[in-house]
Amino acid sequence: MGADRNILIIDDDRDLVNSVRIILESRNYRVRTAHNSEEGLKRIEEEAPDLIILDVMMATDTEGFDLAYKLNRNPQTKDIPILMATAFPQKMAQEGPESFQHILGETWPVSLFLEKPIDPEELLSAVEDLLSG
Amino acid sequence: MDVGHEIIREQLFFRRELRERVHWFIKLRWGAACAGLLGLLAARLGGLTLSYGPPLAVVLFVAAYNAAFLMVGRRLESVRPATARPFEVFAHTQISLDLLSLFLLIHLTGGLASPLLVFVMFHVVLAGILLSPLSCYTYAILVILALGALIGLHLTGGVPSWDPRFSGPLFFFRPRFPEIVLPYLFFAAGVLIAAYLTTSIKVTLRFKGRDLMRVSRELEVSNAKLTSLYQMIREIGTHATPGRLMNSAVRNTALIMGVKACSIKLLDDDEKTLRFASTYGLSQDYLSKGAVRIDQSAINRRILEGSLYAIGHIDEKSYFQYPEDIRKEGIASMLCLPLRAEDKTLGVLCVYSGEPQFFTEADAEFFSLMTGLVALAMERLNREVAKTWFLNKAAHQLRSPVNAVVSMIQVLNRGYLGEMTGEQRETVDRCEKRLSIMRQVIDDLLKLAEQREVAPPPFYPVDLAEILDGLAGLYRSRAEGKGLALHFDIGANLPRVLATERLMDDLFANLISNAIKYTPRGGRIDVSLADDGDGRLRFEVSDTGIGIPEKDLPRLFSEFFRTEEAKAMEEAGTGLGLVIVRQTLDRLGGEVQVDSRPGQGSRFTCLIPAAPAPG
Repeated sequence: MGADRNILIIDDDRDLVNSVRIILESRNYRVRTAHNSEEGLKRIEEEAPDLIILDVMMATDTEGFDLAYKLNRNPQTKDIPILMATAFPQKMAQEGPESFQHILGETWPVSLFLEKPIDPEELLSAVEDLLSG
Repeated sequence: MDVGHEIIREQLFFRRELRERVHWFIKLRWGAACAGLLGLLAARLGGLTLSYGPPLAVVLFVAAYNAAFLMVGRRLESVRPATARPFEVFAHTQISLDLLSLFLLIHLTGGLASPLLVFVMFHVVLAGILLSPLSCYTYAILVILALGALIGLHLTGGVPSWDPRFSGPLFFFRPRFPEIVLPYLFFAAGVLIAAYLTTSIKVTLRFKGRDLMRVSRELEVSNAKLTSLYQMIREIGTHATPGRLMNSAVRNTALIMGVKACSIKLLDDDEKTLRFASTYGLSQDYLSKGAVRIDQSAINRRILEGSLYAIGHIDEKSYFQYPEDIRKEGIASMLCLPLRAEDKTLGVLCVYSGEPQFFTEADAEFFSLMTGLVALAMERLNREVAKTWFLNKAAHQLRSPVNAVVSMIQVLNRGYLGEMTGEQRETVDRCEKRLSIMRQVIDDLLKLAEQREVAPPPFYPVDLAEILDGLAGLYRSRAEGKGLALHFDIGANLPRVLATERLMDDLFANLISNAIKYTPRGGRIDVSLADDGDGRLRFEVSDTGIGIPEKDLPRLFSEFFRTEEAKAMEEAGTGLGLVIVRQTLDRLGGEVQVDSRPGQGSRFTCLIPAAPAPG
């Protein structure tokens, strides 16, 4: 399973990226990594991933969201599912889409939210769901 | 207005005196009547030859009219203190009747030779103290004339001259003209001197009294100011945001100083401009001038340098960039001081009056006191905000590395990097366990910081039964896993409370999970939510757990405190759960009570105010 499924992890925490990579590679997913949104865009250009695992807060509190909106507006990337990870799910729920939603009326650009640290089994089943969905 | 006020107060003072003395006279007169009776008795026993009937009649007359005065006096008590007239009339009546009786007695006991003659003086002195100087002199002259007339009548034989004698040697002399003129003149001089002394002492007393009253009035004013200052400090201390604190400070300052307007201007971080941060009584027009550049404003520069700035007449100075606007605003004088806390200058506090030369030196001193207190309150709040910010930031910063470590440990522990030996796995297990406690501490710290935030999420009506219902499933399975019986008793149709769902969720979760944590296998936990019938909801969690030693109860709600028994029983625990519970209830205006017996169980009772019924 997982063979030739290509997953891109974008997170500025190298240790976290590494852990997620190890977990995913154990199921034979092909994993590429990026440590900021610029690098992430480059990787996407090189080869469109089947799934993106994206951190919310990187250089800025909303960098992950900014990237997600960008991808969502681009016809070439808008169908790539995004799994978003955040250490502050409550803050996200409270401040809600309003503080992140740059353009009024735009839909939530993310397929799934998971709280950090992500439990390995939970991560794998979520990835499987998103890729088969 | 002040002078008139003073005079009225002074008059009131003397009227009060008169009022009290009028009653005092009546009491004294009973004594005088008794003394009269005793005197007559003593004279009789001493063998004085006297016709006792008439003086006895006079003494009884005194007692009779005193009884009448007593009744009149009681009726006068209902008269308002401000009306002095009835009391004056009453005093005159008393003095006149007393003098009449006294003269009858003097007549009956030897005229100018009577030993009672000296008592005349008291009446003159009392009239001098209680009534006007004119009344005093009038009584003095009447007394002199009356005595003169009496002597005349005695000499001419118009009335019989009483001639009291002891059985022994002659006691009294029989007055004859012209020898009698000299003692009479001495007596008259004595009466007039008494009148003069009394009235002039009273005038000095009046001045002194006036001084005293001025001082007492000043004391009253400063006492009132101090009281309002205290209330102001208490009030501004309750505000959690700098904006609200400053609004309250300018409003209170203006009201206490009795001026039309007050403002706080804050110094920008670069210390180059002053900006209106809060104002009271100034027009939008005036405020729209915006920031003041310090290098262009001599006056503000001086204020910031620390000199008290008072301007009596706006017209006469040319310090202002916009004197026209100040005049248009109706400001005639102002007083400004820097807001300083320790070495830091925060800004400028100003009060504005519509009257020129309004501020006295005492006002300036008081204003300086007030400025210091406002600055202190502002600085305290700034620090509080900074502390909360720091707590929040620190917890956020801790969270990322902890999360990274958790992920790495999980990778190791679940065998993604190969199987570990039993001991390796055990060690990594311990790491994971300790990390999860650390995460819990960080989460709790974040919750505490959030509750102290300057602008926490607003409250709305929340259905507690619904929240508790939602938690029931989760905790029931947790309790079952530990072999505990967990019962929920949630009342129907409960009123809502003003809170946020998250706050209430945390509050319930903290207390229920504590009960599960600290109740040994086989125990029972009861959770109930009910209307206490007094406008509050009662949430209660009772368990058959380890309980809390009495000595630990006072520290139970302090940060990071855990009882030894709790630590021994359960490793996971932050010592912050109950702090969150207490802080939440503080914010909701509720309270929490603990009832516990070591080894038998604990009961936590939260009383939460219900939201006012809609409509």
